[in-house]
Amino acid sequence: MATPAIEVENLNVRFGEAHVLKDVSFSVAPGESYGLVGESGSGKSTVLRVLSALNPNWSGRVAFSGEAHRARPDEAFFRQVQMVFQDPFGSLHPRMTIDAALAEPLAIHGLDRPDERIAAALKGVGLDEGFRFRYPHQLSGGQRQRVAIARALILEPRILLLDEPTSALDVSIQAEVLNLLQDIKKQRDLTMVLVSHNLAVVGHMCARVAVMNRGIIVEEASIDDLRRTGGQDPYTQELLAASRHVAIPGAA
Amino acid sequence: MSTLREYLTSERPASRQQARWGQYYRQWRALKQNPLALLGLVIIIALLIVAAVAPWISPYDPIAQNLSQRLLPPSAAHWMGTDELGRDILSRVIYGTRLTLAVVLLVVISVGPVGLLIGTLSGYFGGVVDTVLMRVTDIFLAFPRLVLALAFVAALGPGIENAVIAIACTAWPPYARVARAETLVIRNADYIAAVRLQGASHLRIVLRHVVPMCLPSVIVRTTLDMAGIILIAAGLGFLGLGAQPPSPEWGAMIAKGREYIFDQWWVAAFPGLAICLVALGFNLFGDGLRDVLDAR
Amino acid sequence: MPDNAPLIEVENLRVNFHTPTRLVRAVRGLSFTLGREKLAIVGESGSGKSMTGRAILDLVPWPGEVLADRLAYRGKDMRAMSSSERRGLRGKHISMVMQDPKYSLNPVMTVGDQIAEAYRLHSKANAREARERSIAMLEAVQIREPGRVYDLYPHEVSGGMGQRVMIAMMLIGEPDVLIADEPTSALDVTVQTQILDILERLVTERGMGLIFISHDLPLVSAFCDRVIVMYGGKVMETLDARELRQGKHPYTQGLLGCLPDLDHPKDRLATLNRDPAWMGD
Repeated sequence: MATPAIEVENLNVRFGEAHVLKDVSFSVAPGESYGLVGESGSGKSTVLRVLSALNPNWSGRVAFSGEAHRARPDEAFFRQVQMVFQDPFGSLHPRMTIDAALAEPLAIHGLDRPDERIAAALKGVGLDEGFRFRYPHQLSGGQRQRVAIARALILEPRILLLDEPTSALDVSIQAEVLNLLQDIKKQRDLTMVLVSHNLAVVGHMCARVAVMNRGIIVEEASIDDLRRTGGQDPYTQELLAASRHVAIPGAA
Repeated sequence: MSTLREYLTSERPASRQQARWGQYYRQWRALKQNPLALLGLVIIIALLIVAAVAPWISPYDPIAQNLSQRLLPPSAAHWMGTDELGRDILSRVIYGTRLTLAVVLLVVISVGPVGLLIGTLSGYFGGVVDTVLMRVTDIFLAFPRLVLALAFVAALGPGIENAVIAIACTAWPPYARVARAETLVIRNADYIAAVRLQGASHLRIVLRHVVPMCLPSVIVRTTLDMAGIILIAAGLGFLGLGAQPPSPEWGAMIAKGREYIFDQWWVAAFPGLAICLVALGFNLFGDGLRDVLDAR
Repeated sequence: MPDNAPLIEVENLRVNFHTPTRLVRAVRGLSFTLGREKLAIVGESGSGKSMTGRAILDLVPWPGEVLADRLAYRGKDMRAMSSSERRGLRGKHISMVMQDPKYSLNPVMTVGDQIAEAYRLHSKANAREARERSIAMLEAVQIREPGRVYDLYPHEVSGGMGQRVMIAMMLIGEPDVLIADEPTSALDVTVQTQILDILERLVTERGMGLIFISHDLPLVSAFCDRVIVMYGGKVMETLDARELRQGKHPYTQGLLGCLPDLDHPKDRLATLNRDPAWMGD
């Protein structure tokens, strides 16, 4: 088997007294979409913050393509791994135009042809040139999330981390953003880790999921298995039942 | 006119400049909604104009003494009367705008950046940096400003330059506090996490991403503080530690006028009125600016 | 007062906001009547669903303006009431549960005292009676150890418990009508179910009318009796909740089509084409 794109072994995170992640282990193959599902306080977002180096205090082993992940990685790391945040209203600097927000990563890494790259990045997420010099407050939630995706992709990473990318959006906008993410994944052969509380969203995007509860991965399974068996772990079963309780009976 | 308006209000700006001017235009429109802030702005602009054209509009030389004309009440020849040395008070008040503005501007350009930098660094890095910087700030905050300024002037010797240094040394701590409080919120925002994820250095994050967010509250704080700075400068002048005679500084003029306050009220009243008006102008403008800049 | 009058009658409700630059029409002519039933108002953000709830309670923020041909509570015209009479309706006759209990509870007062205060606002009960009633109410929303929870502060309770406290507080005045604005959206799915069960039981037992404002179509179809689908301040259609799937309006169908479904995987989600004709004018 090829070297996994992401390998996590016995990851532990403590915030003071609180033991937030307890021996979390999983691995993601190159080009795979991997889902982390759980409710608030399950530690799913903490996993992403460790992977993205936003949280440097952890123990265990994390490796990207076989290379050990350090708590404070160098610049090159950020060209490999990028992240999209949950709240499109909080993840764009309110006093920077879209153009400035997209130019920033290019300037940091000293990439050439910034104008062309910004134009291409906007086009890639389905926004036309007219958006380029607007401020975030002139954009809708869905448009902002597209900008956030463009910003994550402008450095051409191989791994994209998604932290509840659609939970702040209307369902019709959610569909557009999820479709966009799938298109991009296909085009660029990205490896994705998607964190969500919404089992249906994860099921739509990922083939394999880990269900998290109180800092532990209680079950890892393929979506097909979950759908068929309803899960092995009692918590998985509860989560699945809760998601189905509101599903429309006899849906087409 | 309508094309300019369209250019400014365009929902699809075509360049960086257009986006920036559009933003300014929206802020200006918000400011226009507030008549008191506009009044403040008018006062400030009037102050600037008066200071610029002082030599042409003042009817007399502000330091020329004429002892035969001393302590004359307001009249057609001397609109604000004359002081104990027979100098025209109107001319002195007009020239006083220059001193006042100089003090205010010098203090502001030294205090704003220092306070902003100390506050953002302290808030962004936290830990030891925060503790050290904030304890220093606390020490400065612990003394009443005027008393501390007095101590500085006493050590440095009286004079307008030393007064500026003294005021600047005592004025920055509140700015650092404001900037730090803002930074504590901002540093946890997702957009800061996003630039960290792009590999930006700490310095870049602080200067390019944190500082612009703190800037509005510091600017507002500055305009609100202007009044206080003018009053401290006047206070130092009043105590004889600021501008030295015969320069026409408003505080010093009031100090002199104190001796005659019951019989020749105009000597102290008109410089006092000027201080009042300018302080009010900056305050009103600062209040309005807060609403405009905090909108987003 | 005819007792068989509907709990709430709304005819041609409009909510307008006059901003310096333009007129924003948040609600454009909404009509419905509410009996002792669970009525859902669904729509996306900007559909005017929340403004509808606020308009009924006279809580539309400045500079909003509420217009209606009829706005009545049990046959009494609310438009003719003074603002203090409207305030008298709130809590005692019509209550509202908001989305996030974190922002709706006073952080420096114990949750029990807040419920007791709500109770004493509408009755002349003394402090002891109010406490007893509040503890009983906490029990009714299925809080274990209500006596202990009574003395907790809002930051000491979880999101789900906070929302139960809110429901207890809103129902203690024994209102006929409860308006719930996205009451479960901020909660985990496993907790959502519990809250809905509690709401369901209380509303049915007390014979109340419920206006359930939500963005979640599958949820309201499982939980409510009737559904009003709103878009851009207008009603797209009104239908029986069980027949939501058979909704005729393209917007209803579009909203359902773009949802990912765990049990019926699709390669690609349908997207919604907004037809300007839906706005009518």
